[in-house]
Amino acid sequence: MKKKMTNRDKTFWAVMIPVLVLFFTFNTLPMIKGVVYSFTNYRGYGSYDYVGLRNYIDLFTDARVGKSYLFTFKYALAGTVLVNVISLVMALGLNSRIRFKSALRGIYFVPNILGGLVIGYIFSFIFTYILPAAGSALHIGFLQNSILASERYAWVGVLIVGVWQAVAMNTIIYISGLQTVPQDVYEASMLDGAGKWKEFWQVTFPLVMPFVTINLVLSTKNLLMVFDQIVSLTKGGPAQSTESISYLIYKNGMDGGQFGFQSANAVIFFLVIVAISIFQMTVMNKKEEQL
Amino acid sequence: MAKRKISGRLALCAGMLIGMSGLAGCGQSASDGKVEVELVSYKPEAVAAFEKIAERFNETHDDIRLTIDSPNEAMTILKTRFIREDYPDIVGIGGDINYSNFLDADLFMDISDLEEITMVKQSYLDMDKELEFIPQEGVYALPYAANAAGILYNKDMFEEHGWTIPATWDEFIALCETIEAEGIQPLYLGYKDTWTCLAPWNALAVGLSDSDTCNQVNMGYTTFTEAYGEIARKIRVLLDYAEPNPYAYGYNDACTAFARGQSAMYPIGSYAIPQIKSVNPTMNIDSFTFPANETEERNVLNSGIDLQFSVMKNCENKEAVYEVLRFLYEDETIQIYLDDQGGIACKEGDFAIPAELEGMRAYIENDRMADYQDHHYPSEMSVDAMIQTFLLDSSENSVDTFLTRFDTDWKRYNRDLIRKVQEYQKEMGDAQ
Amino acid sequence: MIERKQKTNWVLTIVLILGTVTVFFPLYMALIIAFKQPSEMTNDVAGALSFPEKWSLDNFRQAMEVTDFWHSLGNSLLITLATIALAIVIHSIAGYVIGRGMAKKKSFRIIYLYIVSGMFVPFSILMMPLVKQTAQMGLGNRAGVILLYLVFYMPMNVLLYTGYLKNIPMALEEAADIDGASTWKTYWNIVFPMMTPMHATVAILTALGTWNDVMTPLVIMSGTGQNTLPLAQLNFQTQFGTNYNLAFASYILALIPILLFYIICQKQILNGVANGAVKG
Repeated sequence: MKKKMTNRDKTFWAVMIPVLVLFFTFNTLPMIKGVVYSFTNYRGYGSYDYVGLRNYIDLFTDARVGKSYLFTFKYALAGTVLVNVISLVMALGLNSRIRFKSALRGIYFVPNILGGLVIGYIFSFIFTYILPAAGSALHIGFLQNSILASERYAWVGVLIVGVWQAVAMNTIIYISGLQTVPQDVYEASMLDGAGKWKEFWQVTFPLVMPFVTINLVLSTKNLLMVFDQIVSLTKGGPAQSTESISYLIYKNGMDGGQFGFQSANAVIFFLVIVAISIFQMTVMNKKEEQL
Repeated sequence: MAKRKISGRLALCAGMLIGMSGLAGCGQSASDGKVEVELVSYKPEAVAAFEKIAERFNETHDDIRLTIDSPNEAMTILKTRFIREDYPDIVGIGGDINYSNFLDADLFMDISDLEEITMVKQSYLDMDKELEFIPQEGVYALPYAANAAGILYNKDMFEEHGWTIPATWDEFIALCETIEAEGIQPLYLGYKDTWTCLAPWNALAVGLSDSDTCNQVNMGYTTFTEAYGEIARKIRVLLDYAEPNPYAYGYNDACTAFARGQSAMYPIGSYAIPQIKSVNPTMNIDSFTFPANETEERNVLNSGIDLQFSVMKNCENKEAVYEVLRFLYEDETIQIYLDDQGGIACKEGDFAIPAELEGMRAYIENDRMADYQDHHYPSEMSVDAMIQTFLLDSSENSVDTFLTRFDTDWKRYNRDLIRKVQEYQKEMGDAQ
Repeated sequence: MIERKQKTNWVLTIVLILGTVTVFFPLYMALIIAFKQPSEMTNDVAGALSFPEKWSLDNFRQAMEVTDFWHSLGNSLLITLATIALAIVIHSIAGYVIGRGMAKKKSFRIIYLYIVSGMFVPFSILMMPLVKQTAQMGLGNRAGVILLYLVFYMPMNVLLYTGYLKNIPMALEEAADIDGASTWKTYWNIVFPMMTPMHATVAILTALGTWNDVMTPLVIMSGTGQNTLPLAQLNFQTQFGTNYNLAFASYILALIPILLFYIICQKQILNGVANGAVKG
């Protein structure tokens, strides 16, 4: 028996080591190199010098970077709330006694299978022409100007597209969460004469809590990394009001000559994402335990 | 026993991976003794012209095979190839900050011994000289085609209403007033794509500031607050005569609107003409130099190198590459390119000026031209977005805010460059 | 309970049907733009919403030519299918080893956290070093892209597989062990087939991610003469001129394969995604 286990161990390591080598080579190693570049003034080609902590110091005094963090957080926060509320409502709707249930579920998932860039180009057209024209025809003031042209509200336009796409996936996850709630739980509560609203908060919600955690962590992470929507809708404008962190890192690091500086930005960004995710998971785990 | 099996399976997986990489390599054609010359151009819109040129070249040359690539996202692709150290032989890029950077990174070969260099119009060679961060010995680019920017106008509309071409800023504003009084929108701007903000900016800047302003700032002789004040004030005035909320519409929208006669004029470069004509193929377009000054004599046409060829330093077949450059610089070849893309030849000689640039002819023939100022701006500084921000800022001291930011940001983004320039200056000063 | 047959909630059904407009409207827009000619593009609402003057497939034919459609489609299929196949083999076994190892040893717990934390690494920090590295290793091609996808999707897939593994009782493996089967054999004969629902999930999530990805092929295989479908679509986005009509025709062309795939396997896909959430 003991010998068998060591054989098993051997097999385990024979699998694990190549996988780890692969992962290290194409994930950890380039990341380490990225960290090294963050201490240089590398343009991406040609020669470069080490500049110590200059990039990191600059990072905290750079108004544009600060603005991009503010935008990204605002976007991710509003997006996470909207995505989760909407998809939970959608899931409740799609899980109730309706006709054409599977067809409707199928249709509402479509946004998720389409590429972000293509979706962005289509919506960009709608925001620029269709909505303002509809706004003027119906005399709705705030619609008459393209939302993407407004320094104050362009982020809402980006948000609408981001949420439109993210809701699809989260709805399916919530539906599967709702399906784990056994029917007799509802029947029991119905006997008690509990109202729908009460039923939801007291019976359904606690049971789907683990799914709320998954959805929160996933949607926050994806929204924080927003990139495709920015490229296709606003390119960071107007007046640099919608530059997300990922967009700035790509644009100035890859297209511009700031590779070293933007590597430093990416390092900080990574730490921020990890910190937020860990925070979310700990808080939600506590909540789950309480319920 | 089990162990051997595992290694067997792993070998299988590894074999699959290797097999795939072999599969991926099959795209490269076998060599047949010909020298391969690879040219990468950053102008995907000119792909048809280049295909024609490459075909002609290959028909007439037995020993060299020329391939011309015009990929999209060409700058990203070129940069990633440079990172990979997978260099083409020749690159066709614009005379802009990318050229300065690549040259500064020591990527290009000195081609001053190419005879064709002597056939280039002097003003374009000068423009390339000004793009060098640190003055270099030699010539590193063969200017090919230039574009010009100013105001495009709807010729039929102008003739119908009897409007005349303005030569000074005051006349221009008066014209805008007249057009507006007749119920027509004078200008279309399309500022959503931030880069379009640079079109009138550059056209104004050539008339109102020195062509080497950026270098002067780097050397500490002036500031942008001093040099750019008038430009900033004048670009703001354009908003009064343009579509409401120009930040809602992009370049394509502006081209479409102008093509449909929704505005009488469009402050953009000659590069927009193919796009405009795709919407309205029969449109009668002409152009004039942006009348930035109070007197006509001081106006300068905004013209820059749209396409030039540089040879990569580590290119192995210099002779073959030179043969390609010679072919590209034959009058006939240049005409193929111009017929397709419009624009102005950088070579001395009798090339037809496109009908749409007729109104700029005098400036072109008298060499009253200066380069786009933005060819000196580092792309990561995003001056285009800064201009858009400035135009959106309706507060009273917006000009000061903008120019102060311009100066501080400039120092921040060009820190290493300024240090280099000043070191060089000091060296030169010490040498004297 | 059966006699209390529940009535269909028609109000909700209608509301949800009306809601599908939010999905169909953008697709409708894309479709009519794809059929129009540039000269038909107007800046007003009626013109934008109207049908094209004639339903000609000309744009599509031209878009197929510009994007070298069949070739690009072939590359996209090759990359996506190879990634899926390898992901199912490699990630499932990695997930299995980590999942089972984790229960007994701290070292596997650490490996688990190490790999899963890779999910949070922004691509932007890896991009430039990866470009250099893949080129040096001769992997600046389709094989390199596949390999990178295997690494990028490893954290998510390992998370899914180890999660699913909790539902497979150890008893089965122990029984096989006693029968004298090797761990390797036990895995392929017993565990691997039992994870089929999760294989479907992994296949779908990986497919959706790789099919639409632009960035990785753009930076890794640019200049090799090979395109994927999303990459080929960039042909229409040039700074100085976008032909919206051709572009939208090509978007539609790129959407069709994945839409077809989705329509055919819709049930499996939705179940698969749901599975990932429940068991993962």
